[in-house]
Amino acid sequence: MRDFLRKIFLVDLLEGLWVTLRAQHPKNIVTEQYPAARPKVAERYRGAPRLNINPENGETLCIACDLCALACPENLIVVGWERNAETKRKELTTFTYDTSRCMFCGLCEDACPVDALELTQDFELASYSREGQIFDRQILEEGIHPTPYKH
Amino acid sequence: MKRCPTCQATFPDATERCPKDGAKLAAMSVTMGWDAVEAPAEASPAPAKPAPKPAAPKAPAVMETEPWEGELPDALKEKFGDAITGYFRYVGQSFLTAKPEAAVPILEFLKSDWGFDYLVDVTATDDPAKPERFELVYILYSFSRNERIRIKARVKEGDKPATAVPVHITADWLEREVFDMFGIEFAGHPNMTRILLPDEWQGHPLRKDYNILGMDQKWVQENLGIESGQ
Amino acid sequence: MPETFLDSTELVLNMGPQHPSTHGVLRVIVKLDGEKVTGTECVIGYLHRGVEKIGENRTYAMFNPYVDRMDYVAAVSNGLGYCLAVEQLLKVEAPARAQVVRVILTELNRIASHLLWLGTHALDIGALTPLFYCMREREDIMMIFEKYCGARLTTHAFRIGGLQYETYQGFEQECLEFCDKMLPRVDEYEELLTGNRIWQQRLVNVGVLSAADCKAYGVTGPMLRAAGEKWDLRKAQPYSGYETYDFEIPTRTNADSFDRYMVRIEEMRQSVRIIQQGVGRLEAGPVMAKVPKVIKPPVGEAYVSIEAPKGELGYYIVSDGSTQPYRVRVRPPSFVNLQSLDKMARGGLVADLVAVIGTIDIVLGEVDR
Ligand code: SF4
Ligand code: SF4
Repeated sequence: MRDFLRKIFLVDLLEGLWVTLRAQHPKNIVTEQYPAARPKVAERYRGAPRLNINPENGETLCIACDLCALACPENLIVVGWERNAETKRKELTTFTYDTSRCMFCGLCEDACPVDALELTQDFELASYSREGQIFDRQILEEGIHPTPYKH
Repeated sequence: MKRCPTCQATFPDATERCPKDGAKLAAMSVTMGWDAVEAPAEASPAPAKPAPKPAAPKAPAVMETEPWEGELPDALKEKFGDAITGYFRYVGQSFLTAKPEAAVPILEFLKSDWGFDYLVDVTATDDPAKPERFELVYILYSFSRNERIRIKARVKEGDKPATAVPVHITADWLEREVFDMFGIEFAGHPNMTRILLPDEWQGHPLRKDYNILGMDQKWVQENLGIESGQ
Repeated sequence: MPETFLDSTELVLNMGPQHPSTHGVLRVIVKLDGEKVTGTECVIGYLHRGVEKIGENRTYAMFNPYVDRMDYVAAVSNGLGYCLAVEQLLKVEAPARAQVVRVILTELNRIASHLLWLGTHALDIGALTPLFYCMREREDIMMIFEKYCGARLTTHAFRIGGLQYETYQGFEQECLEFCDKMLPRVDEYEELLTGNRIWQQRLVNVGVLSAADCKAYGVTGPMLRAAGEKWDLRKAQPYSGYETYDFEIPTRTNADSFDRYMVRIEEMRQSVRIIQQGVGRLEAGPVMAKVPKVIKPPVGEAYVSIEAPKGELGYYIVSDGSTQPYRVRVRPPSFVNLQSLDKMARGGLVADLVAVIGTIDIVLGEVDR
């Protein structure tokens, strides 16, 4: 008899529908509308590399110590420097970072003594060519400019 | 895009020489992306890492082991005598060294009499400087004793140690992997073929004289139609 | 019916390497007699990257991120095993706080790995919904990883000697919240699957591997426990302070795919328990032991194994006293467990092969290394 009533009043169906409806509650929606709404990644996210510059005088923080290049398992960082004749200090000339081989392990970031090299929250790293994956000093300092998504 | 043939780093076209080691940069084919540098298989040196000192004089470097004593070594001593050449302990782990022909009988004896019924791993290490260059390592575990031991046996190039498959079935794939990576053939193995690498591959990668950059370029070109990576 | 009613010849069927239910690039050559499997052969190696060779050419610290890429579903476990092995060689131990954080993250990873297994396994069997549910919970774990170390999958969370990162603000709370949420969710999966008649018919008595066979094939992990052997390295040979946690080792006796499912479900609950205990134990303190900047273990060798979500994961490292390991051998659970596929599938139906592959819980990155 109970079973019969359950069938008559479509209890099972309604239970199932209730589960579906419950998932429509804004609190329970987990799907992200990615390109339209950019998710916020964690603060420690290891994304696009950046070479920090001193905000006061616009000079690079990097002291060309080459530690990041030595720490990298993939050996993909190349630091170019020349010695300034006057101050006798090393000065950074070029800096290449080949993201196509990078595995974003963060070892270079850990190795940097002055926090010049940093892996940022920027995660949109796609480019149209392999060359675009090789970041030079300018890109590293200014950030990448991905083609923005349009509807 | 250019690439330094020694350190594999990439540079913009304008750069002439690698600032790291001054080597002349070579053009890099971007179509396939992978290194199209004409790197001869052997000649390409390892990347400029914090260089491993090439076989520097390191005579005193030996493992500081302790002797391994107890009823298990005693029983083995009695049963196998000279075939086992030493009983050691290191960082709390026991292992013994044996003659290669004794390895499988030891496995069998330990399985039947001492409950070492689980062969964890079969692997090898390579030291080309020694006359018996390979060292086979069997790792055993006993569920009843909750104990782990290792059996090590040195074999020469070309030697065919007996297979452990009749004792432990799991040795099947593990021995195939040893054959694949080191080229040690096991006598009596049911299917002694390569397991991870393709059958036609040349060389055995985990040998010390197999350069990490010197992979089988020919196979890659013929079968995948690309210039070899790294 | 006479024997010769129909001509029957053996059919050789190729499955994979792109077959969706092989969980990667596994290729299985199946010999069939009608619908019956009379033999299988696995062709592996499509994902071989020579991890062990790479290890010989990198320093100890540099090799750490590579091990994450073997079993990428349980990257944290891989890292833990590797760090423990090198610490054993260096004869150092991670500080107490680091060990607790390690345990919490590894258990979270165990849940994540089992969730992914459950979702994909159910998908193979034909149940679509659990995948979405499992991914939803897995996402929470991934968020904790992302906040903790900055990466979601290949985390590189641990360093030799301890941790690189302190926990972030709100780590404890998020872990506890996750635990509270997780338990009812596990019940929910069980509600969906355990009593489900199709699920049972597809799994019960499929892919039986007795405890004796498990030992002969070297099969460990949930498969061994589903065969009734109460063996878990966290209890048998505890590491990272697991001996001080209060948890059960779930076992079952039927040794079939269904029991493995039940064992994994129960393991998730036990992991939740461990995480809850671990969060209660987090005390202030250093997270990094004193290890030299350049890691140079003395000449020696060590085999250290941990209970990864898939079974016994071992690292056999030989040091020659230089900055690079002389030999790194990884004893991958997936590789060894996969060997028993032939034993389990033989005599079954071809449709069950999918269930059997799924129940082993392989990750091809680890099989091929
Ligand atoms: S993140 Fe890792 S792989 Fe990438 S550049 Fe830094 S050290 Fe190298
Ligand atoms: S480690 Fe830091 S300071 Fe040194 S070269 Fe690299 S980015 Fe510059």
